[in-house]
Amino acid sequence: MSELTLSRILYVEDDADIREIVRMSLQMVGQFQVATCESCAAALKLVDEFNPELLLLDVMMPDVDGPATLQVLRQRASAENAPAIFITAKVEAGDMQRYRNMGVLDVIVKPFDTMGLPGQIEQIWQRYRSSMNDNGG
Amino acid sequence: MNIRKRHNLEYVASWLLILAFSVWTINLLFNVQNDWAQSNEITRVDQDVHGLLDPWRNLNRPGNDVLENYEVDAQNQALERYLAEYSEVRVRLEAHRATHVPMSDFLTGMDEAAVAAEALASRVLQLATEREGLRLSDAAPDSIRRVETEAATTMARMDQAFQGGLDLIVDMGESLDRRLLDLDTSRRASIGSLYLIVAVALLSSALSLVLLRRTATQGEALRSGAERINAIVNNVVDGIITVDDGGDVKSINRTAEKMFGYSAAQIVGRSFTELIAPDRRAQYNEERCQPESADPGREESEYLGRRLDGSEFSMELAATRIKVEERPLLVYIVRDISERKHAEERLQLAASVFENTTEGILITDGDGNIQSTNPAFTAITGFTADEVIGENPRVLQSGTQSADFYKAMWRSIIDTGHWQGEISNRRKNGDLYPQWLNINAIKDSRGRTTNYVGVTFDISELKASERMKDEFIATVSHELRTPLTSIHGSLGLLDGGVTGKLSDDSARLVRIAQENCQRLVRLIDDILSIAKIESEKMRFHLQPVAIDDLIASAIEENQEFAKQYGVRLQARSGIREARVLADRDRLMQVLTNLLSNAVKHSLKGGIVLVGAQQHDGYWRVSVVDNGPGIPESFREKIFSKFAQADGSDRRKGGGTGLGLSISKAIIDRLGGRIGFTSESGVRTSFHFELPLMQRSTIVDVTEAKPAEPLESSTRTE
Repeated sequence: MSELTLSRILYVEDDADIREIVRMSLQMVGQFQVATCESCAAALKLVDEFNPELLLLDVMMPDVDGPATLQVLRQRASAENAPAIFITAKVEAGDMQRYRNMGVLDVIVKPFDTMGLPGQIEQIWQRYRSSMNDNGG
Repeated sequence: MNIRKRHNLEYVASWLLILAFSVWTINLLFNVQNDWAQSNEITRVDQDVHGLLDPWRNLNRPGNDVLENYEVDAQNQALERYLAEYSEVRVRLEAHRATHVPMSDFLTGMDEAAVAAEALASRVLQLATEREGLRLSDAAPDSIRRVETEAATTMARMDQAFQGGLDLIVDMGESLDRRLLDLDTSRRASIGSLYLIVAVALLSSALSLVLLRRTATQGEALRSGAERINAIVNNVVDGIITVDDGGDVKSINRTAEKMFGYSAAQIVGRSFTELIAPDRRAQYNEERCQPESADPGREESEYLGRRLDGSEFSMELAATRIKVEERPLLVYIVRDISERKHAEERLQLAASVFENTTEGILITDGDGNIQSTNPAFTAITGFTADEVIGENPRVLQSGTQSADFYKAMWRSIIDTGHWQGEISNRRKNGDLYPQWLNINAIKDSRGRTTNYVGVTFDISELKASERMKDEFIATVSHELRTPLTSIHGSLGLLDGGVTGKLSDDSARLVRIAQENCQRLVRLIDDILSIAKIESEKMRFHLQPVAIDDLIASAIEENQEFAKQYGVRLQARSGIREARVLADRDRLMQVLTNLLSNAVKHSLKGGIVLVGAQQHDGYWRVSVVDNGPGIPESFREKIFSKFAQADGSDRRKGGGTGLGLSISKAIIDRLGGRIGFTSESGVRTSFHFELPLMQRSTIVDVTEAKPAEPLESSTRTE
């Protein structure tokens, strides 16, 4: 089962700059362990070893997009139960609803506040934890 | 035979008849008068002839008497007296000798008889005297007998003479009576004839009266006929102009006067060409100079007429050549056809549009059977006119629309005479294509639908380009956001001191960069919103929205922002519970926009009040600030895109200039109204209004989809 406090986040993002900024934000501001990769394929190489507690996925990526990556990663035992958050620059209301329906905890919209991002993720994690506790007893 | 000739014949015949009858009548009258005179004369003669009888008989008497009584003296005297009587009557008869009665023979005969009778009577009287002398002297009986014998012989001769006279008188009387009878018969015949003439005269009079009456009627008819022709000529809708062989106008009727603006006095005697546009006169002269024998009938041609004021108009000339008193005359029937020409041109234009427009047009009769289609319809559907005429337009249906869709379409056509919308139909080759269809019911003057006209255009390409545009906008939005995310994220980390504490100047510069980054993001968001709203791609999740709750949430969410400007947000007290049908997120977007504008334009320490009230069938939500207000010059364009009062506004507020434009578009889509009132330096109030939600609407909405909010991509009007 997941730890009470969140530590390992796997971040998949095709844009190197954003990948770097988010890594810095999560590591330096949020003090999380972060593994970043540029694609679904890269994530697959890393996921078992890293054993993430949370998946942070960009939606629009070439080849395999966020939702597909989520499905692929969920095939792996290491990420089978890891909750996920989408990050996207697509802000259409319909899309947001669709993403939420894919079983992700939340959707974070780009551009985001890099200083506030770790807090935002922590909040979502806590909400998820408490719901797990409520359901699981 | 013409009327006049017949009339003359009747006239002559009548007069001849009257003349003949007159002559006959005069003749008859003359005859009657003559007969009458003769008759009177004969009657008088007859009387006198009969008057002779007694004196004549008396003349015989003395001779006979003397033989009886021997009174010779007395008988002599009697004879004298009778002779006088006879002479008297004889003189009377003599007076008639001058008359028409032929009586000379009679009178001569009578005179001879009278002379003889007198002589014999005198002899008898003489013998009687002798016998008396003898008898008194007692002469020998022989002597007496001898005298007596002679006397008797004389007496016999005298009787004979008298009888001859008597016969003459009787014959004359009878002759006269016969004459009288003849005259009487003749007179009767004449009178009979006169009766006949009177009868004929009466009959002729009656006939004449009838004839006169008829003639009078004919005369009157002729007179009133002429007047009528004049009235007709003057009042027919066509102009009538007569032109002599010299080409000069002889007469012009009132219609033509009005048509050309000339009075008869102004144009009669002048050339007809003045009524024709100058550049068409040559044509006129050419046509007019055609040999007369070529076509004596009607010639029709179109001309440009010229009015007195110089204006020109299309006219039709129908020329008829006639002869009046052996002189050729052209009668022109002129018709102003400018209206007709215009109508023709309009029809031609309409027909040309029908044929050449790129929009497919389909016309059905009142029962919905196709009557006509244009080439564009064939180009779009693949069906030629011949293939679909008489068919029902449902041959085009693709089956992708539900029965309810068509039901609603027809409901609209029946109720409003109109329907328009997007519909997917099938081409002849089986392909589906999206089209925009506009159906209108055509009604006659009595309000009955005679036709339906469907105007359609293929929107496949439009749809494709719309899709491309949407994709483009989405891509641009994504592609812009990605680098912005890096910039904004980096600046955030710098500003957060992740890389070490920044100097004050560096921190200020990083913050400016960050703020402008945020503004760029808002700009992208707003442009995307506008693009979506304008292409009607924005999806609205309609649901009942509680106004008081909406206001409370908006105030809560924006309170922090207001605080940065030293402004406080406050809901007015006493907002009643009310609901409108709307998309909550979009409505929140509008209210947030109005709130942020009010905050940005408030003075520090000010209060922005949010209220709601029922207003004219709508719920009105107002946001009021006490800022400096909206400059007069800016008020008109306040809802247009990128509208900001001045440059400083942008720096101060950091707005995009699209907020009110987006708000207006959203409220319009929700079927509401947006507006403002502003008193400079006192207060500015922005408001939006949405229709009150009817109870039935609430029920419908909740019953239709109780779990999920309604989605609507159509315009709410």
